[in-house]
Amino acid sequence: MLEIYFSYFKRQPLASIPVFLTLLPLLLIWQRKAYRDNAFLILGIYLMVKFVIDFIMFDWASHKRNTVVLYNFNVPVRYVLSSLIFYQKLETRRFKNWILASIPVFILFSIWDTLHTNPSLADLHNHKMVLYSTTVESLLMLFWVLLYFYNTIRALKIPNLLTYPFFWVCSGLLIYYSSFLFIAPVFHYSSKWEEWLEIGFLTYVPYMFESVSIILFSIGIAQFPDERYAK
Amino acid sequence: MQNNEELKLALLIALIAMLMMAFFVISFVMYYQKRRFEEEKKINDIEKNYNRLLLDTALNSEETERRRIAQDLHDDIGTMLSLTKLSLNQLSKLVNASENEKQEQIMKKSQSLVEETILHVRRITRDLVPTTLERFGLLEAIEEFIDKLEEDNNLVISFHSNTVEFPRQGQKLELTLYRIMQELVNNAIKHASCSSIEISLEIENEMIGLRVTDNGIGFDPEKIKENNLAGLGLLGIESRLAIVNGTVQYEKPAKGTGSSACARIPVMPMSENKPEPLHPFRREKVNA
Ligand SMILES: Nc1ncnc2c1ncn2[C@@H]1O[C@H](COP(=O)(O)OP(=O)(O)OP(=O)(O)O)[C@@H](O)[C@H]1O
Ligand SMILES: [Mg+2]
Repeated sequence: MLEIYFSYFKRQPLASIPVFLTLLPLLLIWQRKAYRDNAFLILGIYLMVKFVIDFIMFDWASHKRNTVVLYNFNVPVRYVLSSLIFYQKLETRRFKNWILASIPVFILFSIWDTLHTNPSLADLHNHKMVLYSTTVESLLMLFWVLLYFYNTIRALKIPNLLTYPFFWVCSGLLIYYSSFLFIAPVFHYSSKWEEWLEIGFLTYVPYMFESVSIILFSIGIAQFPDERYAK
Repeated sequence: MQNNEELKLALLIALIAMLMMAFFVISFVMYYQKRRFEEEKKINDIEKNYNRLLLDTALNSEETERRRIAQDLHDDIGTMLSLTKLSLNQLSKLVNASENEKQEQIMKKSQSLVEETILHVRRITRDLVPTTLERFGLLEAIEEFIDKLEEDNNLVISFHSNTVEFPRQGQKLELTLYRIMQELVNNAIKHASCSSIEISLEIENEMIGLRVTDNGIGFDPEKIKENNLAGLGLLGIESRLAIVNGTVQYEKPAKGTGSSACARIPVMPMSENKPEPLHPFRREKVNA
């Protein structure tokens, strides 16, 4: 069994690295006790869910099974958890309400999108990637990140952003979703079992920036003081 | 399998553009935040300096006012009293000649009252402006202050300094130290119900340390600050110190009960600042 994993890892290193890299920020959250901050508790849950889903996908991929169904399932889950982080961090009531409102709307939308792109759900082998959801997700997340930045600049509460953990998390998300925004819709055509669209190394771009963002998360979490997190 | 070079190129450009946008946003946020903080800090500094200046002016004008009152008391009331004394002396000769016991008694009483008043006016003038401080410096002034206190209280006040010749400091600094010492000693007498007070004035590593220790009931400065019990005294000490970059600490003395206050101020030798005019108001009058 391990050999299958290893051979897949060797064939697809760029896609496999982020799966295991996710463990690094998780470990740091646990070690620095960052979970005492609600936002980082949610980030921890997000990373854990991400790791489980990614690992199952890794397992299926190494056994040459279609993982797209998991990917589609992951989209709303990912959005719910990451937007909840911003729900914790944004302070204005109105923005919080916007986030809360966006969650059910997005879930419904992604379900509709999945059904729309896959008329026969039972056919897992030819399951296709959602067409619009990932783009909408990227747009929404970029919007929350920018909104948070805007608020930070206005509030002027954080003396040094470089030692402020959440700034790094935001930067990671910003870079990841910026890189993903335009590639996401193309993925629908490229990640097909048959007649796929060849986009060369661009396939790996999201994976690369996923790793980058995970590393940025880790840097941010490492900014937590060893013992107490002074607000 | 399809291969679409144009799509790939477009995607690549879009990707690079988005990434540049992301980097730009992140660096902009960082830069802007930093600049805003620097500005805020500058404004804070200016405000702090301004407040210090205000305080300084307030204290200065208080001293000037004291000086003016003292001068007026001395020149006007003092002169009038001396004249009254003179007239009374003349009158007493007349009264003595008439040999009326009753009149003579009243005369004596009036004379002693005038004399006492003269003494009182002199004392008040002295208290208003510590002339000894200006002429002879801190050590002398403190000693004089103690002598006067010991006269009419049964208190033991001891004073020692680690130098025999305490170098003269700027006028403002000396006055600050003197007024702080005055308030601390007054507080000890007023609140501590103590039997002895110890004053020490030390100069060490460019810092002047003034310590006033009493053996009274003691007090908790934190509690007093929290409960807003501080009168003008303790607050005044702090604002005086703020002007000369000094600090004050209240602590329990090592042995027994009581309290101990220690003010520390960096030295500021006299030569550095110009001596202020001694009697600014008088001068104006002379010049006019
Ligand atoms: N040496 C001391 N021993 C005991 N209590 C003290 C002593 N010094 C100060 N206190 C307490 O601290 C309080 C505040 O003192 P502070 O000098 O600020 O005000 P005050 O002496 O009551 O009024 P003011 O000085 O304005 O005439 C006093 O009311 C007193 O209770
Ligand atoms: Mg007092």
